[in-house]
Amino acid sequence: MDDQACPRCKTTKYRNPSLKLMVNVCGHALCESCVDLLFLKGSGSCPDCNVPLRRSNFRVQLFEDPMVEKEIDIRKRVLKDYNKKEEDFASLREYNDYLEEIETIVYNLTNNIDIVGTNKRIEQYKKDNKEIIMKNKAKIGREEVELEEILEIEKQMEELRRAEISRLEQEAKKQKIREKEALIDELMFAEGDAKDILNTFAQNKANKQEEVLPAVPKVTQFSTGVKFTRVSTQPTLPLIEEGPLYKYEPPVVPDRCGPDPPSIEDIVALGYLKHVRAENETEKAGGYKSTLPCLRALQDALTGLYHAS
Amino acid sequence: MFSTSSQRKFWTFSDEGELAVLRDKHNLNYIAKHGTHIDEYQRYNFFLSPDEERLLLKQYELHLKEFCKRFSPPMPKGVVGTAFHYFKRFYLYNSTMDYHPKEILATCVYLACKVEEFNVSIGQFVANIKGDRDKASDIILNNELLLMQQLNYHLTIHNPFRPVEGFLIDIKTRCSLANPERLRSGIDEFLEKVFLTDACLLYAPSQIALAAVLHAASKEQENLDSYVTDMLFREAGQDKLAVLIEAVRKIRSLVKMVESPAREKVRVIEKKLDRCRNQENNPDSEIYKRRMRELLDEDDIPHTGSSRMSLDTSGITQVLSPSAS
Repeated sequence: MDDQACPRCKTTKYRNPSLKLMVNVCGHALCESCVDLLFLKGSGSCPDCNVPLRRSNFRVQLFEDPMVEKEIDIRKRVLKDYNKKEEDFASLREYNDYLEEIETIVYNLTNNIDIVGTNKRIEQYKKDNKEIIMKNKAKIGREEVELEEILEIEKQMEELRRAEISRLEQEAKKQKIREKEALIDELMFAEGDAKDILNTFAQNKANKQEEVLPAVPKVTQFSTGVKFTRVSTQPTLPLIEEGPLYKYEPPVVPDRCGPDPPSIEDIVALGYLKHVRAENETEKAGGYKSTLPCLRALQDALTGLYHAS
Repeated sequence: MFSTSSQRKFWTFSDEGELAVLRDKHNLNYIAKHGTHIDEYQRYNFFLSPDEERLLLKQYELHLKEFCKRFSPPMPKGVVGTAFHYFKRFYLYNSTMDYHPKEILATCVYLACKVEEFNVSIGQFVANIKGDRDKASDIILNNELLLMQQLNYHLTIHNPFRPVEGFLIDIKTRCSLANPERLRSGIDEFLEKVFLTDACLLYAPSQIALAAVLHAASKEQENLDSYVTDMLFREAGQDKLAVLIEAVRKIRSLVKMVESPAREKVRVIEKKLDRCRNQENNPDSEIYKRRMRELLDEDDIPHTGSSRMSLDTSGITQVLSPSAS
């Protein structure tokens, strides 16, 4: 079956050389005119398997086997969620298991094996790994942007190089013509031996070729002056001057002018709290403890006792 | 903490003599300033003497106590103590003839309510005052800034109430005294009287509190001397103990000497005061009313540039300390 044929209108490539087969997610092919006809309203169902399809999802069939197309579609969809990288796994073994699982899912979906179960598995995976998926998606997005930028740069370089080469070629052509004219002039008007003249010209030519072509200056920025590299877009962090390290010094207790009050530990240990109203549940929730007011009352009682007028 | 407070640094004096000197000074100042048109002999009949001022203030301290006791909503003890402090401090540097104690009394209580975080609005506050309430609220609010200025903005007061609690907790924990709670009524009675004396201008709040506790204990036929000597002052040494014993003795004798001044005398003094008081600070006087009107008018006149500044500040100093103008 060399010839491609539309399964609906039976047109073949032979009869209509401009035949373009289109495929959708279900993997069944249709020719362009049939798609236009059937999906006039933008959506409809596949004539082969009755799966509801959208017109916008149709694309040109690249592979002869429509199953391959279907698999590509499915793989794309599955990989959108199964986007973990090798770094996300502890061991190579786990990573391989993960790849294996992806393959199983893709195979099952492509060949209509246990579709409900497999879809459930994907949903479960999505739920379990929501955060990682989101994170990796963002990462991949960033990487893609970077890649595109690099491609852009390469394209630019390529163009520049081509322009340079064509300029050189033209230069060389002109040079050759000029040389030829000079040689003929010389032969016409010079008195010397024609052979000698030919020899000297050949010599000169050889010498010239040895002259090193000026190196094309390396292009490092766009015509607007923006550097190619991404680094320049990220401003370098300013260095922070670091002073001497902080050193804790215990606060100085001013002269109490009285006997020393018990410490908090003493208040707890010596049973002062028995004579203070204990904090209730509500107060405890607010962080209140009866130790501090007890300490304050004792401090207030003892400070100033030595006061002398 | 009392030991580092402005109360200790600026408002605790060495003895009663120092207080008397301060009080005599402002009395003489007032007479010298307002008595130029009266001859030597008449002066002493016309103006209040320092002793008369003292007596009058004692009477007003009783009024202050009564006012706070009847205040509704009921007032915490701390507010009363703070108000007493303010009142005493104010009249250390001001004469009753300059500012009538009736007005300063209400202002002191109002400011104490604010400082001690006892939240009453001015409307609620003047509801406790008999007579013209609008006038009263005007007087209080007019005097509030003056009072704070005269107190030098030293508004934090260390009252003896918390130290009393501290001593009771300590006694319960470290002493074998049976049922220390029964001391409370004696302590409260003592502290009420303490504020009618000058003790809070002379001693630390903890000393006053200890005096109250010891007084209450002796009233209950208990002896806490060993608590003081063996527990509190075990490491302090004899000299410090002697100072404290003297302080406690003095506070107790001050409290013992409290007596309400004779009605008749006070009535005579009040009559005298009505004549000799500074009319510029009397809200009922024509002079006061005219001055207030002038101040209001001054605000209405549009001024420009720096002249306005100078006029405004002069207006403020007039409001705050009319005696200075």
